[in-house]
Amino acid sequence: MSQAFTRGQKSPLSALTAGTDLYVGIQLVSPGLTWDISCFGLDAADKLSDDSYFIFFNQPKSPEGAIQKLGEQSGDTDSFRVTLDQVPDKIHKLSFCAAIEGSGSASQIQSGYLRLVAGGQEVLRYSFTGADFGTERAIIITDLYRKGVWRVGAVGQGFAGGLADLIRSYGGEVDDEPAAPPAAPPSFAPPQQQPSPGFAPPPQQAAPSFAPPPVPPQQHAAPAHTGFTPPPPPPPPPGYGQQPGQSFPPPQQPGHPPQQPGFPPQQPGFPQQQQPGYPPQQGFPPQQGHPQQQPGYPQAPGQFGSGLPSQAQPVQPGVMVSLQKYRETPTTGRWTQQNKKLVKVTLGPEAYARRGSMVAYQGDIEFAYKGSGGLKAFFENAATGQGLKLMTCKGQGEVFLAEDAADLHIVELQGHSLCVNANNVLAFDASLQTQVQRIESPGIPGGGMFHLVVSGQGTVVVMTKGTPLTLQCQGPTFADMNAVVAWTAGMRVSVSTQVRISREIYPGASGESVALQFMGLQGHFVVVQPYEV
Amino acid sequence: MQSPLLQHYGQTQIRDRMSTHGYKMAKVMMAPGQDLMARAGSMVAYEGLIDFNPNPPQMGQMARSWATGEGVPLMVATGQGELYLADYGKDVVVLQLAGEALSVNGKNILAFDASLQWGIERVKGVSMLSGMGMFNVVLRGHGWVALTSKGTPVVLDTREAPTFVDTDALVAFTEGLSVQPRRTARLGGLFGRGSGEAFQLGFSGQGFVMVQPSEDERPNFSARG
Repeated sequence: MSQAFTRGQKSPLSALTAGTDLYVGIQLVSPGLTWDISCFGLDAADKLSDDSYFIFFNQPKSPEGAIQKLGEQSGDTDSFRVTLDQVPDKIHKLSFCAAIEGSGSASQIQSGYLRLVAGGQEVLRYSFTGADFGTERAIIITDLYRKGVWRVGAVGQGFAGGLADLIRSYGGEVDDEPAAPPAAPPSFAPPQQQPSPGFAPPPQQAAPSFAPPPVPPQQHAAPAHTGFTPPPPPPPPPGYGQQPGQSFPPPQQPGHPPQQPGFPPQQPGFPQQQQPGYPPQQGFPPQQGHPQQQPGYPQAPGQFGSGLPSQAQPVQPGVMVSLQKYRETPTTGRWTQQNKKLVKVTLGPEAYARRGSMVAYQGDIEFAYKGSGGLKAFFENAATGQGLKLMTCKGQGEVFLAEDAADLHIVELQGHSLCVNANNVLAFDASLQTQVQRIESPGIPGGGMFHLVVSGQGTVVVMTKGTPLTLQCQGPTFADMNAVVAWTAGMRVSVSTQVRISREIYPGASGESVALQFMGLQGHFVVVQPYEV
Repeated sequence: MQSPLLQHYGQTQIRDRMSTHGYKMAKVMMAPGQDLMARAGSMVAYEGLIDFNPNPPQMGQMARSWATGEGVPLMVATGQGELYLADYGKDVVVLQLAGEALSVNGKNILAFDASLQWGIERVKGVSMLSGMGMFNVVLRGHGWVALTSKGTPVVLDTREAPTFVDTDALVAFTEGLSVQPRRTARLGGLFGRGSGEAFQLGFSGQGFVMVQPSEDERPNFSARG
């Protein structure tokens, strides 16, 4: 069970974990700032008497390997591995610090934390924000120190100077900021290019880069949860990213295959299980712990497994962990596909959306009746049976649009024109030119089929019931009027009299369906949905 | 016989209390002493000896909400075996509470451990909008919960910005958020010329809101302009 520490809180380490093989993860979210995160190994007098115990980017390892800097991974800005029972007796304190490279102040930190992970479970999390600091350019985050036994203290103190001053205050020598201490081997490669060593590999295959595995081998599985990788709040809500140790059933199979990223439609048929490719700095071997929920696992929000029961994954504890894959996807433009059935539009410029299609929004947004001008006369015409009732979304913020769990498709027009069945329009940029057209035929109930022609530079969101079919028009192409979703403008569209499908009579229909015939050249297409309205 | 149906859709090997079978079915491992509260009528299959009691004694607290024709019809499942639950093809989201508290729209609850603390609450603010209530199940403690969502849901972080949600699309939210009703419609919107988005619930604070991509059409609560 992870304990949330507050500033100044101290505790014997044994109260948190019996393990001595610790993973220390530090996250700092502060756009525009670059941080040097380092660990000072100090003696009994709080001095850096041995430069080789200053673990930083140029010296990622102490001589005997008890302290290792692992670099950025698993959602942490930087991380360390500390094997406490190998730390020499002369080292009394391990102080984890961060210093700003360049200009800036610690008060710009939006959020940050330091967490301790032992045996694959987070045991401590100390969260802080810039409000805890002033204009300091360095911060001392947390100390691991000996006082009889190993203890941990959440320090959270700012330090006025930069890294160099911090080193000097600890009695270290700085040649040229931020040069390596004299003892540092000059040929050390930066850690970014060194894949960090796997944690506690299976006993039979010892990782060569490791000092002898601790005894008893502490199963150092990945920190099995980050909760939300993005910034945790200063006081974490109860259980955010926490994990109940006791109710956590161990995995039956040592290696649950990771979920496949990507949507099923991109993987037609029954794809074989694919390893999604761990980033090289992911030092945790996937056969330990729960890979699919490891922090840093490249399962971005909005990506889902194939949904095949044969590839099902167990659910991890913690609400946020369980819901990680449903998180908001990062905005990638004006229109962002959140998942198959949800689209996010980032306002500034106005957008039109089907009335009532907003499911949620963030920001200051107003929804107004859209019915002015010629559009209204057509769309509101009850006789057409094709009412497209629109609203205007204006303001600043993000709006999530969805309608009746229909599949949504973002179409960037890029100057082209598209004809969309009025029933299949979800939203479009207000800057697009729109025109209502009608395909007339006595065979069509109501005397004609209304559709919306959208053209210009912008985006229209088309919705379909079920996975649509896009037919390239290279000969005469026929589509049921009730199933056709959209087609490119410029084709000759006529009502087919030859293909008449007898359908079951439903209320309001004539009992006969009308097929539309599309004649077009290369490049034209028709989109059909597997659902007849 | 050879078919992907046999290859890929068999029982999963996960022995956890709850897991999903595909997107739209929940699998629950039942054991003696681990009773399950499940939406009445949601059982699609089970193996083993499982009893369903549609009128458990614990339901006293729900009488109040049932009287209004609202609420969450639940049943208690006891026994041993594997139980499969689904709700009309809605997506199923399984999650494990680790001490958190979650408020779930009554329409979106599928099952939860009977060992969780739970209760029915009226969502504040909704009744102010329409005179009708919206009933949520509040779950708290350590245990498993299965929710349904019509379509793949999205989880919005209310720490980033205050989040406004169409009440018909609201699935769940964490306890401790401040809930404020919000009217976006002008007065004219109430007389047939509305944008369709007259009322929302605003959430702010430390937590999240889960939203489904569909505005449930079942007659539960409706405040359309």
